Amino acid sequence: MSQNGAATEAVISVEKCQKYFPVSRGVVMRKTIGHVKAVDGISFKIKQGETYSLVGESGCGKTTTAKMILQVEKPTSGIIKFQGKDLAGFRSEEYREYRASVQAVFQDPWSSLNPRMRVGSIILEPLLTNQKLDKGEAKEKLESLLEEVGLHSFQGDYYPHEFSGGQRQRIAIARALSLQPKLIVLDEPVSALDVSIRAQIMNLLRDLQERYGVAYLLIAHNLATVRYMSHNVGVMYLGKIVEQAPTRELFNNPMHPYTKALISAALPSHPDIQREDIVLSGEIPSPLNPPSGCAFHPRCPFVMDRCSQELPMLKELKPDHEVSCHLY
Amino acid sequence: MAQAPVLEVQDLRTYFFTRTGVVKAVDGVSFSLLPGETLGIVGESGSGKSMTALSIMGLVPKPAGKTVGGKVLLEGEDLLQKSANEMQHIRGRKICMILQDPMTSLNPVYTVGNQLIETLRMRDEGLGRGLKERAVELLSKVKIASPENRMGNYPHQMSGGMRQRVVGAIAMAGSPKVLIADEATTSLDATIQYQYLMLLKEIQKETGLSIIFITHDFGIVAKMCDRVAVMYAGKMVELAPVRDLFNKPSHPYTEALMRSVPNVDEEVDKLYAIEGQPPALDKLPPGCPFAPRCPYAFERCLHEYPTPVTVGEGHYAHCWKLV
Repeated sequence: MSQNGAATEAVISVEKCQKYFPVSRGVVMRKTIGHVKAVDGISFKIKQGETYSLVGESGCGKTTTAKMILQVEKPTSGIIKFQGKDLAGFRSEEYREYRASVQAVFQDPWSSLNPRMRVGSIILEPLLTNQKLDKGEAKEKLESLLEEVGLHSFQGDYYPHEFSGGQRQRIAIARALSLQPKLIVLDEPVSALDVSIRAQIMNLLRDLQERYGVAYLLIAHNLATVRYMSHNVGVMYLGKIVEQAPTRELFNNPMHPYTKALISAALPSHPDIQREDIVLSGEIPSPLNPPSGCAFHPRCPFVMDRCSQELPMLKELKPDHEVSCHLY
Repeated sequence: MAQAPVLEVQDLRTYFFTRTGVVKAVDGVSFSLLPGETLGIVGESGSGKSMTALSIMGLVPKPAGKTVGGKVLLEGEDLLQKSANEMQHIRGRKICMILQDPMTSLNPVYTVGNQLIETLRMRDEGLGRGLKERAVELLSKVKIASPENRMGNYPHQMSGGMRQRVVGAIAMAGSPKVLIADEATTSLDATIQYQYLMLLKEIQKETGLSIIFITHDFGIVAKMCDRVAVMYAGKMVELAPVRDLFNKPSHPYTEALMRSVPNVDEEVDKLYAIEGQPPALDKLPPGCPFAPRCPYAFERCLHEYPTPVTVGEGHYAHCWKLV
């Protein structure tokens, strides 16, 4: 899908990243009583022109991972590399460049656009802070960006409230595209939109990827969206990646019991489809006090004695297909 | 199918009278619901699916909204003719509703037990002492672990899935005939949503309850429903048994909507995207509201609203193409 031969190079690679949030108690004598292990040692790579998806239920750490990549949160430990270089060693100039090359589109286009700014200024803002453009160039650039995402050039003078949800998401995408980023973090980009609009936005994102070779980190909970959009998928549970594989492999041959349960819980696309019925008992445990051993063992239908004692490691069972489970 | 329907909705019309004009939120919706049956109402936001539910419950926001026509027959009695007091008596006993967000439908300053007992007290006057036991029984019926201890919890001490179970328990307190679930599982996580849906199915089997699922998710329809109604811009455009709808979607909107939903079960090369957006309800075109987005639209569609066409047994669609 990418344009040139550099497809093998990872745009971003995350190595054993952890993010712990301290939990404290007391007003005067504040002390830390524990840590929420939001992200607990995850590693993955995103190549140029590809989409990597993180799926999982709320609280599994997928958004925290995105925040670390966007440098909103600093990882507690671990390395994030951008085009092979460690972010921690960046000087301010390099940081600036990094920030320009990594952009984001968020879930709710009602709160992610400033209601007091005209759409044209919203889209051009990142461009004008990073580059010197004269008025004519800016106008030209704006028109081409609007056209790129399927809006009319006169709509640059409107305010966000004059647009529908789908159009607002197009505006957010145009803004993210303006600096020709290498990576766009998409945090639930279609889940706030209407069903008939979702397909428009997903197709737009795929077209743009094909044209510019931009990489996506997609955060989603809807497996159907993930299957349609991504090349590689990581399944997260309580801060850890429990299974990681190319999309087709993961959906055709899920191995981790949690992945199987997630796919089973994804509602069928036709009433005649019968699936292996895995109804998980219980709820997601608190990340403040995760279960010992494999964090999934209290809900796992295939639990063994070993699971509560020993932490399973991510093992490569097939080329590119990694699973962390004692079953294998 | 000689059974008499529990609920029959005929030509229901709910309009909003605003300064800018009349908004036809529900415009001529008809369907019936058999005992123990599950009906799905699917549509996008603004299609009138929630307003249909509120009209049935007699809870249309006043004074702007008004149900101006039609009949809602619950076991033969027209709910639209009932007084506010009579409706108060019917809601909760015969017909109940579960909403999307359990945090807003539960009262944050009362314990869960308190709210359950309150509901029970309203339902069965005179049942003084047994109330607490009944409340615990209801909680265990919706599979809340250690229900006695949970009675003293406040809503914020529970997870989303558990809160929605409590709402379910409150709804079941009056042993209703009809349950309307308005996007009841949308805010839940996938595995929790699945648990909840399976729970509803189990309760339905036990009690013979009829359920109306209001949703935008075809997955829920495929998994849960016997029949489906598709709504667009306040109108019911297609009504069909669930298999017929998936095998042979007849209205162009249903067909397009189904093709635009990504699929977990197989790979899709390119999704079909419906152009444009749903129309504003106060500026509806005179003919078929879907005509401006419809790939098959012709002259007649722009001027006249289509009459229902029978496509199969119990399968109707409103489209001129099918005539």
